[in-house]
Amino acid sequence: MIELREVTKEYGHAAVLKNITLTLEEPGIYCLLGRNGAGKTTLLQSIAGYQNVTAGSILVNGKVISTAALDSEVSYIENFANHFNLPVRKLLRIAAEVNPHYDVDFAWDMMERFELDGKKKFRHLSLGMKTMISTILCLASNKEVVLLDEPVLGFDALMRVEFYDMLTESFQRHPRIIIVSTHIIEEIAQTIQKLLILDKGRICFFDTLQAVEEKAYSVSGLQKDVTAATQGLNILGEDTVGGLATRYVFDRRPQQTEGLELHPLSLQDFFVQMVGHKGGRKR
Amino acid sequence: MSAIFSLSKRLLASNKLSFLLTALVVLCATSSGDVVLSNGNYTWLLAVLTPFFFVFYDFTKLMHLGASKKDYYIGCLLSYVFSAACISLVNTFVHLVVDPLYPARTVINLMDVCGWTENGGLVAGLQQLCFLLLVMVFLPVLLSMQTRWYGWVADVLLVGVICIFTPIAPLRSILSGFFGLVMINGNAVLHIALCLLLSAALAWGGLVVLRKKAL
Repeated sequence: MIELREVTKEYGHAAVLKNITLTLEEPGIYCLLGRNGAGKTTLLQSIAGYQNVTAGSILVNGKVISTAALDSEVSYIENFANHFNLPVRKLLRIAAEVNPHYDVDFAWDMMERFELDGKKKFRHLSLGMKTMISTILCLASNKEVVLLDEPVLGFDALMRVEFYDMLTESFQRHPRIIIVSTHIIEEIAQTIQKLLILDKGRICFFDTLQAVEEKAYSVSGLQKDVTAATQGLNILGEDTVGGLATRYVFDRRPQQTEGLELHPLSLQDFFVQMVGHKGGRKR
Repeated sequence: MSAIFSLSKRLLASNKLSFLLTALVVLCATSSGDVVLSNGNYTWLLAVLTPFFFVFYDFTKLMHLGASKKDYYIGCLLSYVFSAACISLVNTFVHLVVDPLYPARTVINLMDVCGWTENGGLVAGLQQLCFLLLVMVFLPVLLSMQTRWYGWVADVLLVGVICIFTPIAPLRSILSGFFGLVMINGNAVLHIALCLLLSAALAWGGLVVLRKKAL
């Protein structure tokens, strides 16, 4: 279980995380979405104990997480993690030696599935392959919390598909909390169970994917009809052209009336509406 | 325990450059004249280089491989003991076997300068081991602090102590007294005990610094 209690992280005078309180109780694959600079990496690094927070506290399975934690249940890998310049096979073997809980079989399976050349040294791998090694190391660590920061960076389409399969497989082998931060929203929708949206250092959404599917709609039509149909609902955003309007809502399904078009929002559209800013203001 | 040994093995394996540099200096260093420096002295270079690699090169990489900070730290200490023992063994061997091959010359080995050889080869080797261990435990503490304000304070203090204590006679005697205890000390029991005590204290200090270290 991950518990964040009023977590604030400041770099100088700039607050990157602002008073975040959040509890992730159940094992599952969580997707962390946010715009560039929203604070995703800072949040993940803080949960991993790679850095201390300015205020508040983070607990993983009841243990306080900070740089002072000498042995934590969290495995985190950043997208450009640097490793020893050793052959891939040796690197995975060393990881197994230094981490007692390491899932060796899973690591070998993945190495073969992704056709990673075990004899190739880390520095000679492509960006995608390097990221894949880091991801395999992180997932095979078998720790109770796994944090993947932009794990599909540099992956081609096929690798991404394989990665999502790997993520599901890893979770099935060992159910735990896996948080994946990504910008490729639609692709990961098939894999994840819960969604976290971080905006300007604050968690602005945390719920199941099912909630998004059931409650996120776009309502289009004549402005007065749209206004009437969405009155009292939680409106995320609005676009108007002439007398026509589209409102994006996250609430119960609006009443379908003649002349109104109702469409469920895709995950990407929902995300855009949640964090869409134009000229520094929410759309 | 096997994780700690694996970590130690990895730390030593990735320290090849230090080994090579030290070996190169030891083998290639030459002196001329009737009084020459023993090549064995240069083995101490390994004790100075090793902590740099452990702190700046290995730490992050081992963390990325899933090692715990605790195992890393114990692995480091184990490697320092092993390295100090190896250096001591090689220098003692050079002092006892290689240095006498220059019968016409006076060969200066730091083991002589420090007065350790008065206690016989074995005890001198042990004294050297303890002193090198102290150096190897001290350096990473200082190096790990460099990213923090107190690292800079420690640097300023060290430089200040050396600069102020050296020219002022009463302070100089304090400084020489300190080195007389931890380095140039013929009393083996006192020397070994002091080095081990200071190493233990510094190891504890190193742990405190490590607990504050961000990745």
